[in-house]
Amino acid sequence: MKILSPLDSIEEVDKLAQAGAGEFFCGLLEEEWYEQYPVISINRRPAGKGHFRTFNDLKTAVTKAHEREIPVYFTINEHYYIRKQYPLVTKYLESALDAGIDAFIVSDVGLMSYIKKRGYDVDLHVSTGGTVFNWRSVAFYKQLGASNITFPRHLTITEMNDVIGTMPPVDITVFVLNSRCINVDGFCTFQHGLAGKEIFPMFRNACMLPYQVTVQCDGDADEKITHERKALMLQRQRIWEKVHVDDHPCGACALYEFREMGISSLKIVGRGNPLERKVKDIRFLKTLIEYLDSDKTLKHDFRKRAQSLYRQTYDRPCRTHMCYYPSVML
Amino acid sequence: MEQALFISKADNVKYFMEDFSRLYFGTEFCERLIPTIEDIKEILGFVQKKCLEFTLVTPYVTNRGLEKLEKILEFVAGEKVKTEIVFNDWGVLHLIHEQFPGHVPVMGRLLNKLKRGPRIMNIIDKVPGPTRDFYQGSCLDVPELCEFLKMMGVYRVEFDNLLQGTNLDATDTDIKKTLYMPFAFVSTTRFCLSAHADSAERPDYVGIFPCGRECRKYTFQLENPVMPVPLIRKGNAVFFLNENIPDSVHKGQVDRIVVEPEIPV
Repeated sequence: MKILSPLDSIEEVDKLAQAGAGEFFCGLLEEEWYEQYPVISINRRPAGKGHFRTFNDLKTAVTKAHEREIPVYFTINEHYYIRKQYPLVTKYLESALDAGIDAFIVSDVGLMSYIKKRGYDVDLHVSTGGTVFNWRSVAFYKQLGASNITFPRHLTITEMNDVIGTMPPVDITVFVLNSRCINVDGFCTFQHGLAGKEIFPMFRNACMLPYQVTVQCDGDADEKITHERKALMLQRQRIWEKVHVDDHPCGACALYEFREMGISSLKIVGRGNPLERKVKDIRFLKTLIEYLDSDKTLKHDFRKRAQSLYRQTYDRPCRTHMCYYPSVML
Repeated sequence: MEQALFISKADNVKYFMEDFSRLYFGTEFCERLIPTIEDIKEILGFVQKKCLEFTLVTPYVTNRGLEKLEKILEFVAGEKVKTEIVFNDWGVLHLIHEQFPGHVPVMGRLLNKLKRGPRIMNIIDKVPGPTRDFYQGSCLDVPELCEFLKMMGVYRVEFDNLLQGTNLDATDTDIKKTLYMPFAFVSTTRFCLSAHADSAERPDYVGIFPCGRECRKYTFQLENPVMPVPLIRKGNAVFFLNENIPDSVHKGQVDRIVVEPEIPV
């Protein structure tokens, strides 16, 4: 299992590699795009930090990564592009290929069809935006040229195992750290990163806003429910706003099963995170992978070790709403 | 203009009126709500009695849901009723394409990736033209996508009624367009907050757990000053209401309206 780390700059390559990154993913946003699409990213990350700024910088970073035998994957994974965007999108595709990237991470079937038709010699990785919940979706994307699929956050460990047991052979990437979206990424049509930070409530993701919640009970449900229960029910609806908060969500306990399933890549979300945090995240996972590899560890012991290391590394207890695979906590 | 009634529960045939010439039945959001074969038999009886066309609506599915759908598609194929299947999962299209070529695949609104977040209305008049084009545009103007869909036998795509409007001028006219009204979906999750919503147990659990179909009992409304319209959470999906008839209807770019008398969950 390789650790798939975000990469935002040339300077990060060496330190992330030393920490144990086995693969990098990155995005790029030039001024030309930003002028036309100030609130729409080409790669699902709002403008600001978390992007390379020029293809020259990208090329330098890719060269450095390749010297360390680390592949670099380029995100161009907005859920859709309209025809007018294709000249710029094409420029991004071709410039990224010139920079030497090893794969595109994509989620739009239209873009995949376009890449296939243009005959670019490059691997295609399906982003979580591709919404692969079953083996036939894997087969569908494989026919479109995909060699790697990122599973959605919204599959249980058992469901992942079922898909892997029945799908045609491709590499699989799973989420293990940060940004546990409450909604299915590929089916979420809220716009992220609206307006500027000066209008703070507007800028926050829609799923993080504090809402006034009311409930309508259908049929006779209202009569059967106590006032206290109703209050609890409304309170539960507001947990939505806490889940996307990046308070170190983690799925490290599942590494045990992921190794048994033959998962290829463990994805750390975090384009735009400070270098120190990226390094800390990689070291955390690397320590656990080494522990798994070094011994015939029992699942129970591994879980205990992972939870203890999580507390030690992030100074937080495990919490069910921050757990990527909460069945491990039951 | 064809008018269809969309229901997710067999009892809701009560909403049928003579204006409807087609019945949509099924679910888009949750594999636990996939109708049983008994439900479908009952609906097909109604469809035949009223001489209606039939569209079965399917959700995104895990392997388990896929198995359920395979049995249902096989049953429907045996009923000799020409059936459209709305797919909201590329794996379901793969299933139809490989095993059920007699069924007519229709691309569902979950796979028609328009931006629907209502806050777009706060900025739509302030953003540069290309950004506005994106928010109001559709990827059905991309020839490679349309060619691919047609190669897979897909000649109809489902649309939501966006607050910011949808410009269909440059889209492929070989592909027919359906408009859903009045509820537009915005987002969906498998970490369902309706599941066990009325139970004091596990208030902080956010994940994929068993449920008691609480989605059929409760509807939540969420309001915030920056959200131009209320959000409606029903089951594992979020919607807004938009009753305005869009330009695409007046221009004849939409040839079917699907009426949702209730949120179809």
